[in-house]
Amino acid sequence: MKLKLPASLGSQYLVLLATIVIGAVVLGISSGGNFFGPVSMQTFFQFLAVPILIGLAQMITLAVGQLNLAIGAIGGVSACLAAVMVADWGFNPWLGALVCLVVGAVAGLANGILVVVTKINGFIVTLATMTVLLGVQYALVNTRTISADNWKPVAALGKASVLGLPAIFVIAIVVAVLVGLAFKYTTTGRHLLASGDNEHAATLAGISNDRSLTIAHGASGLIAGFAGFVSFASLPGVNQSVGGDWLLSSFAAPIIGGVSLTGGTVAVFGTVLAAFVVRLVDSARAEFQLAPAWVNLVIGAVILGTVALGRLRENRESTKAGMLRARVATHRINAPHMAETAAKEASL
Amino acid sequence: MSTPILQARNVTKTYPGVKALDNVNLTLAGGEIHALLGENGAGKSTLIKYLTGVHTADSGSLLISGAEQTFSNPSESTEAGVGVVHQERNVIREFTVAENIVLSRTPKKFGFIDWKKVNSEASRCLAMLDFDIDPSTPISKLSSAQIQLVEIARALYTDTKVLLLDEPTASISDAEAAKLFKVIHRLKDDGAAILFVSHKLDEVYAHCDTVTVLRDGKTVLSDAALADHPHDEIVNIMVGRSLASLVTPERSVNTAVDPVLELRNVTTTAGHGGISLDVRPGEILGLYGLVGAGRTELAHAILGRERITEGELLVNGKPAKIRSVKDALHDYGIGYVTESRKEEGVFLDANITRNIAATTWGKLAGPLGVVKVSDERALVEKYVQELGIRISSQDQLAGQLSGGNQQKVSLAKWLAADPKILIIDEPTIGIDVRTKRSFYELIWGLADQGLAILLISSDLAEMITLADRIAVMDSFTLAGTVENTRHYDSMSQDVIRLIHAKAPSH
Amino acid sequence: MSNETSPAGAAKRRQGIDFKRYLTSPQFFLVLIIVVLVGIIGSAKPNAFNGAFVIAPLLTSVAIFTIVGLAQMMVLSIGQMNIAVGNMAAFGAMFTGLAFDLWKMPFIAGLLVGLVAGALIGALTGWIIAKTGVNSFIVTLAMSFALLGLIPTVYTTLSPGSAFTAKPEGMEFLGRGTFLDVCMAGYCGPAAIPVMVVPVLLVVLLVGGLYSKTKLGREILLTGANIKAAELSAIPTNKRVVLVHAISGALAAFAGILLATSTGSFTPAIGNEFMLQSFLGPILGGTLLAGGYISVTGTFLGITLALLIRRGLELFGAGIEMLNVFLGLILLVALSAERIRTVRRRKPAELPSETPPDQPADRQALSSGATA
Repeated sequence: MKLKLPASLGSQYLVLLATIVIGAVVLGISSGGNFFGPVSMQTFFQFLAVPILIGLAQMITLAVGQLNLAIGAIGGVSACLAAVMVADWGFNPWLGALVCLVVGAVAGLANGILVVVTKINGFIVTLATMTVLLGVQYALVNTRTISADNWKPVAALGKASVLGLPAIFVIAIVVAVLVGLAFKYTTTGRHLLASGDNEHAATLAGISNDRSLTIAHGASGLIAGFAGFVSFASLPGVNQSVGGDWLLSSFAAPIIGGVSLTGGTVAVFGTVLAAFVVRLVDSARAEFQLAPAWVNLVIGAVILGTVALGRLRENRESTKAGMLRARVATHRINAPHMAETAAKEASL
Repeated sequence: MSTPILQARNVTKTYPGVKALDNVNLTLAGGEIHALLGENGAGKSTLIKYLTGVHTADSGSLLISGAEQTFSNPSESTEAGVGVVHQERNVIREFTVAENIVLSRTPKKFGFIDWKKVNSEASRCLAMLDFDIDPSTPISKLSSAQIQLVEIARALYTDTKVLLLDEPTASISDAEAAKLFKVIHRLKDDGAAILFVSHKLDEVYAHCDTVTVLRDGKTVLSDAALADHPHDEIVNIMVGRSLASLVTPERSVNTAVDPVLELRNVTTTAGHGGISLDVRPGEILGLYGLVGAGRTELAHAILGRERITEGELLVNGKPAKIRSVKDALHDYGIGYVTESRKEEGVFLDANITRNIAATTWGKLAGPLGVVKVSDERALVEKYVQELGIRISSQDQLAGQLSGGNQQKVSLAKWLAADPKILIIDEPTIGIDVRTKRSFYELIWGLADQGLAILLISSDLAEMITLADRIAVMDSFTLAGTVENTRHYDSMSQDVIRLIHAKAPSH
Repeated sequence: MSNETSPAGAAKRRQGIDFKRYLTSPQFFLVLIIVVLVGIIGSAKPNAFNGAFVIAPLLTSVAIFTIVGLAQMMVLSIGQMNIAVGNMAAFGAMFTGLAFDLWKMPFIAGLLVGLVAGALIGALTGWIIAKTGVNSFIVTLAMSFALLGLIPTVYTTLSPGSAFTAKPEGMEFLGRGTFLDVCMAGYCGPAAIPVMVVPVLLVVLLVGGLYSKTKLGREILLTGANIKAAELSAIPTNKRVVLVHAISGALAAFAGILLATSTGSFTPAIGNEFMLQSFLGPILGGTLLAGGYISVTGTFLGITLALLIRRGLELFGAGIEMLNVFLGLILLVALSAERIRTVRRRKPAELPSETPPDQPADRQALSSGATA
């Protein structure tokens, strides 16, 4: 299949890319070039891994027309459980890393099964599991911060570089590529999109919507677990605040990246680019020494702007299509007249 | 005649309160085009949904090539070689044409989707229909007629022994329909069994060999040769009595009175161009056209849901500024009975009182906007009596009523608001014959009371029975307006001619 | 008081004393569970309900959170949701605090300023939803983060300690007073009942009256039941959506101000725990998430139950983290119950016409009414 981007989507990527370039240049100039220094770049990419992963996790649930409020809680619990297992119970650090992924997948599957079996609104199911998981996370670590010194080999991975880029950033990109390929080349991926686009048509094509919902929530949880693992590996310590501020950015990346809220679409590249933008806002805040609250304000406004503009553009396009049809219709009415006049003129 | 490929025996399907299918029998033989006829609501679509595993039946059996089958989901029926095009469109809008065609069995290589093969397979199916379109076009860029063709191509993708077509020609042009019939005949010659559902009897007689007729969920004519049953007889079997029994009362419209609603050369954001029409008090103006001609959209433009960009909308001779249904009702006395009663006409989860009183709270409310429940109930009771709505109490939920009674509730809501102009959109879709008749009488009665009525319908017989004049729409323009002589044959020819004169084909 | 207002509710009421129906109503279950809980807590810890030190604070939280529940219930009644309910509370409270601290306003005037601020931010939210048709979850989520960014910034800019602490006359009385302070002819009321209960009860009655008695309430419910049908029934749905969000914002602000008066200071942290509770009350109380049905008494009972459990956990020394686990589980159980109820309620509606009811369940949370 030809890789042909629809015009509107292409322009959205261009806007995002331009935003990133301009933002980076502005930051570079205002920091006197320090922003592009090796240390600063290393930090920039290191803290980009989590926004990318949680954006992807949310994107997958949006693809089937659902949402997942529990992404932060899943990531938090998986990181905290891994930390407690390694630090308190003496497990192998790598086993702890694996636990992150398992916890994520299990929690996600639980969400999916609850949504399918009880037919309860996905918002409420994930609100409830989020609440439960937050309780569990707090119960696991209380007010402690468990130091990463307990899992030095894994923490070393968190600081390692591959080709000059932080290893965890590379991992996030690999996950993104895998997700993109899964949505492009596997029937399961296509079936998720079909279910999200039109449940009834999907059923008629022999696709199980229940299966799609379960898989989407499961995959979303697994990737949230990945984000938990990244935090486990890269943070100096793990405590109850891990995952606490993931909710907005998990929605910000896919929405700004062009994923429809009603299901049926994914935009892996857009989500990754939008995560860059979110990360840039955060860097800018640090650069200009503003309160962390500003990031929330800006991202909140950007999300509102993106969805509102998208909707307005849609409306304008449908109006334009109507006007065009009207012109054709009017033309067809007038045409016979003109033919008549032309005939008259000819006879004169 | 060859051996039957598909046989459905004694199929019964009950919904709470309604027997949708009652001991229905259907036999489809290979190399034969079989017509399934019946009025709206007779059970045709329900039967097709049973045959394709979308619904299960309460009892009855299904044999494909002599072997008994029970389909519990649509993919099983596809596997068994039953292809279908449903009445309503079922596509994944974000996918391409190609992917929609192969969705039930996507070609794979090494476990991954083989996109090259997806496109080539889809091209093969499209070529069968002579449908010239790039298979990598997104569905969202297609018109609804084109989507219909894609769905037909999809039904041809798997090795189809049985092809079920539910109203396949309802929204495609004559040229496209001709191509479709060519394919159908080719499949017939290859030995496939084809079930063809259509309201267009001319098509049925031109292409079908045998016929089954359903009425109120029962088989009233089973597997008969079409040639033995002439047109009029089939219609009588479908309707259950002679059409002649419905006599139009003597109607006279005072043409001296000025029109109460007038459109002058109107262009809208929905895409209408140069539309001019007028309705007088006491007159029923029919707005006829095929699906997609822009009739409902024109009603929406009058109600301010679409903007009028050029031309004038006059109410009582004065230019009207309408921006919402609320403006239309409160400032100009225009009411609108919608075509989709379940989605837009009634509140299924609300009771009868709330449903009918919805337009009247402004009038009923006292100080602080408080509505007196007894006033509300008395008003609703009046219209329940007047329209003969059958309810157990006003507390019944509208969702529990039959289709005909729901439609009456939808109408009562507007009558309660006391409008001067009433737009009625497809009032009798999915309603049985008896209720239909009472609706006709109601509409005549309203016109006699001086209401100006704009009646939208795609049922030509209904138009000719009800309307005083008929405005014919095609592709968002007005093809012309004709006085209704109430002679079915000459009128239907006039109207059809108007449509064809305007549309040289797409 | 019977504030159960919906077409279905009315149907229930009319059927007279139908015991089976009554016994299976969520409200009855709530009362039952509350009674049992009070019994258990009371017998295990005889001091639990002893006197003003326990009951008065409990009633204060019930009063505050009932308002929070109503703020969410209003929005649920049009089939939407308000994720920003806690931030709107903080926003309203911030303005009241500003009015007291910087503008030296008297108590009632400051209160009004806060309520108006809450109503305005709610109206803005509703306006965005109605105008753009973007679903309410995303709009209120984005709004909640915008406010989350804005509010602490305002506090740090305008007050030295990130809190407004001025206490005009009357604030103490409303926030911490009990009926012991209300004396008439030498007799004083019980110390267990906070003064706050009176205005809260008044608001509850007003909201209940709005839905059961007025044109507006009826129109709001129909907007929630089916926004398209409502618009086509000459109901100005956009205005109703804006109005409902405005009232929701005002109620949230009211709850935030009450909380501030009871703790004595206005801080950015006000409303932090409102979001989950706001859903818990109405949902436990039987407000359908799909819109079109509400229960004011149910919301009150749901909130009471949630707070009783919290109190019980505290009394038995369980950690606060267990509260979250419990609340989450309760939410799931309550919703499964609600789901069963919805299915039962809708069943008779499944009469077929040409297209029988094979449409799959609603598009879940993302199907906000305004998007349709």
